[in-house]
Amino acid sequence: MITTELTFGELATLMKQSAGVTVDPSQLEDAPETPFSGLGVDSLGLLGIVGELENRHGVALPTDAERCKTPAEFIALVNNALAGV
Amino acid sequence: MSTQRPGRAVVTGIGVIAPNGLRADAYWKSVREGLGVLGRISREGCEDLPLKVAGQVEGFDASDLIDERFLVQTDRFTHYAMAAAALALDDAGLGHDDDPEEPFSIGVVTAAGSGGGEFGQRELQKLWGQGSKFVGPYQSIAWFYAASTGQISIRHGFKGPCGVVASDEAGGLDSLAHAARAVRRGTGAVVVGAAEAPLAPYSMVCQLGYPELSTVEDPDRAYRPFTAKACGFVPAEGGAMLVVEDEARALDRGATVRATIAGHGATFTGASRWKESREGLARAIRVALDEAGCAPEEIDVVFPDALGVPEADRAEALAIADVLGAHATRVPVTAPKTGYGRAYCGAPVLDVTAAVFAMEHGLVPPTPNVFDIDCDLDVVMSRARPAELRTALVLSRGLMGSNAALVVRRGGGLAR
Repeated sequence: MITTELTFGELATLMKQSAGVTVDPSQLEDAPETPFSGLGVDSLGLLGIVGELENRHGVALPTDAERCKTPAEFIALVNNALAGV
Repeated sequence: MSTQRPGRAVVTGIGVIAPNGLRADAYWKSVREGLGVLGRISREGCEDLPLKVAGQVEGFDASDLIDERFLVQTDRFTHYAMAAAALALDDAGLGHDDDPEEPFSIGVVTAAGSGGGEFGQRELQKLWGQGSKFVGPYQSIAWFYAASTGQISIRHGFKGPCGVVASDEAGGLDSLAHAARAVRRGTGAVVVGAAEAPLAPYSMVCQLGYPELSTVEDPDRAYRPFTAKACGFVPAEGGAMLVVEDEARALDRGATVRATIAGHGATFTGASRWKESREGLARAIRVALDEAGCAPEEIDVVFPDALGVPEADRAEALAIADVLGAHATRVPVTAPKTGYGRAYCGAPVLDVTAAVFAMEHGLVPPTPNVFDIDCDLDVVMSRARPAELRTALVLSRGLMGSNAALVVRRGGGLAR
C-alpha cells in the first residue's frame, strides 16, 4: 500500500507536468496549507493532476479531489482514497 | 464613465513575432531591406505534406517572455500572441505591473483564423489513441479562437472590454477597428491584434484544400502577386499586437503617439468570389475614407491584400482604381508580405505595423520577389523608396469572403 501513496515530491512533479507550475517539494511540505491558487495552479490544472493520478492508479478519485483548495487537503484525500482500494 | 467628448484612438505600442523578426524593430529592418525569409517547413510531422514552403518563425524561445504555466496551458498561436502583447505593452510603457492600478480601463481584443491546431491535434490523438481520460483539461480552452484574448487578459490583469473577432483574415483589421471603437466609448487602452500558428500537421492539412494556396517549392517564386507568374499565396505564422489607446490618456502619461486609427470599413462578398471582391473592397475603402474624413488623394501609400491569385489581384487593383481614381496609378503600393508570407489574421496587423514604421521613417518598403508587374499600380520593388507619408491605406481579404480597409494616420496629432 505504501508504494501508491502520493508524496509532496510527486505532487510537485505533477504540478509541473500538468499545470506548468514549478514549486520546490520542501516548500509544499513546509507550507501545505498554501492554497493551490496562490501557487499558480488553477482549477483546470488540478483537474489535470487528478486525471493523471486516476490513469496512473487505474481508479476513480472522489469528485471532491478536484475541489481541494490546498496540497494538504488534496494529499490527505487522495491517499485516503488510494488506501481504500 | 467619462462624459468628455470621445477622443481619437491612437497606436502607442507595437509588438511583433514574425518569420522575419522577433521584435517590431527587427521586423521593420527586414521589411525595409526587402529580405525574403520564405523557406522549407521543418516542423515535425509536416515533412511529407504537399505544402513545402512557408514563412516560419525561427529562434523563438517563448520562455524568454512568458511564464512556463502559460506555455503548458496554451497553443503556439497563443505563445506568439502573448509574447507580441508583452512587447507591445513594453513599447507603450504599460503593463510592467502585474496588478494594474486601473484594471477596468484596459481591454484585450484579438482576431483568430484557426485557433490552436497543434494543441488540439495532440489532445485529440490522445482521445482516439488512449481514451477520453487521457485528454488534458486545458484542451477545453487552448484550441479555441478566444484563447489568446483570455490568456493575455489573465496574465496582465486587464479587466476592460475583451473580445475576439472571428471574421476571416480581414479580421486582423476589424479587430483594430473594434479596439478603436472601445477606446472612443471610454476604454483607456486596448491590447489588440492577431497571431497565428498554422504550421502544424492538422492545420496544414486543413489548408491544402484552398485553391488559392501556393505549393510551389522555390521560395523565391512561390508568392508573386500582381505578376503574370502569380501562383497563389504562401502561408506564414506569427503576427503583431498593438496598444490602441485614447489619445488624451496617452498624452497625459507622456506616451509617444505612433499613429492614429482613422477609419475602417468592412464588407462581405463570399468565399473565393474574387471577381466580386472588387466591389466589396471598393466599398470598404470608401467607408474607411469617409470615416477618416480623408480624400482619396490624401492616401500616400497602399498596403494591398496581394493574394497572388491573378483574378483576385486584378479585382484588388480595380477596386483601388475605382475609389482612388487617377491617384491609383500614382500612389506607391507595397506588399512586404511577399517576403515572409501571409499569417492569416496576423497578416494585415503586420501590414499596419509596416505602415506605421513606413510613416515614421518616410520610406515605402519594397515588395520582395515581385518584378514584372502586370497591372496599373505603382508597386514599389527591389528597394525602399523615400517619400513623405502622412496617411496609409491597408487592405485585407479573407479566403472566406471578408474584405476590410483601414486608414492609418501618422502620429503626432495630425488634424483630421
